[in-house]
Amino acid sequence: MKVEDWCSFCGECAGVCPRNLIEVKEYKLVFNEEDCKDCNTCIVACPIKALKREE
Amino acid sequence: MIETDVLVIGAGPAGSSAAKHAALGGANVILIEKKSEIGAPKRCAEGVSKNGLEKLGIEPNPRFIAKELDGVRLVSPNGTNVWLTSEEIELPEAGYILERKVFDKFMAMDAARAGAQIKIKTLAKALRKDGDSIIVTCESMGNEFEIKANIIIGADGPESHVGRWAGLRTGTKAVNMESGIQYEMVGMDFERENVIEFFFGSVAPGGYAWIFPKGDDIANVGLAVIASKAEKTAIEYLDDFVANCPATKNAQAVELNVGGDPVGGMPKRIYDDNILICGDAAGQVNPLTGGGIISGMTGGMYAGKVAAEAIADGDYSATRLKQYDEEVRADIGEEINKYLKVKDYAISLSDSELDSVAEAFQEIDFEKVSTSEIVRSLIKVSPKAFIKLGKLI
Repeated sequence: MKVEDWCSFCGECAGVCPRNLIEVKEYKLVFNEEDCKDCNTCIVACPIKALKREE
Repeated sequence: MIETDVLVIGAGPAGSSAAKHAALGGANVILIEKKSEIGAPKRCAEGVSKNGLEKLGIEPNPRFIAKELDGVRLVSPNGTNVWLTSEEIELPEAGYILERKVFDKFMAMDAARAGAQIKIKTLAKALRKDGDSIIVTCESMGNEFEIKANIIIGADGPESHVGRWAGLRTGTKAVNMESGIQYEMVGMDFERENVIEFFFGSVAPGGYAWIFPKGDDIANVGLAVIASKAEKTAIEYLDDFVANCPATKNAQAVELNVGGDPVGGMPKRIYDDNILICGDAAGQVNPLTGGGIISGMTGGMYAGKVAAEAIADGDYSATRLKQYDEEVRADIGEEINKYLKVKDYAISLSDSELDSVAEAFQEIDFEKVSTSEIVRSLIKVSPKAFIKLGKLI
């Protein structure tokens, strides 16, 4: 997952992740990419479009 | 390894309330917070009711009260106003707008004064069962360490990792998570002072837009949407709202706030052996208004009290901790369930239906200003609302 510079680490993505795979540090998001099923729930929920699937 | 009776994860209002009450009950308590500053950045419009604070025994302190309110304005999509202020009603239900950055810190300080040990900049990363206790892996500025506790209280906000690590289904489905966005703005032109304003309809699909005054010409201006009902991201809706609203015509943002708000009600199970979940992490939010400061702190209070009693008994089993579930549901459960139904109804209304409700409200003499009075009036003026919600009131 690509996290844009303007992410504000609110944690909404982590809350909606159905598999609980997103760790939200104070200034960093850590994705467990290995177990991710590409459901895109986190990308859609972000209020400021700060998440993108890496090409 | 650090050992304690109770470990509270998250020092928002719910976690601090839990830590305070657990410590007052005689337990050894550690309260961890991942951020470097408790209360900042805020993820909240900062409104609370006066009697909510009173019920929790919290003295209003001018250092954390930004503004005392004088009522409510509801605005339908075509701009029809419903004013419920002291001009219309003798005693509007009074509330405050808080300064959360100060309030949250004061609540944590209360926990510290009660005896809880606070660790800031400390993140919980995982937990594992160890006999009749739980070991939590923590990380603080590059150092990893473990805290072993008999009871863990998860107050980790909408992320709700702790409950899910413990096998509880405390995550929030996307359809129940409001995507919230807000500017704190200066240069507001208020039509009336000291009124909290709500704007309904397609301005914020699945939620509403708000203006919460913070004194002088300052206000929190924000909105929340349900992503699956929305056609744009939350911030695009907010920028449109700010561009079109007369009150914000000359206003400028000095702060941007972002965050999720779980409005699906409390999950079925919010406790287990050695585990209690409270606050946003346990859906302790009024689903209609999205407000969760008082309800989250109420949850924290029961969690802290029950944890301390369980520590005193030396029994941390789910059977013992069930008392928390019973007490918190007896206090706020019914209201959350009721407003969940009202919310589902309210977000089903079209712009024109909302306009007719606002029109019909012009003829109503409101006896007081409260969410329940507004819902009661909605049932009075709308046959459709009566059919859907009549049984609730």
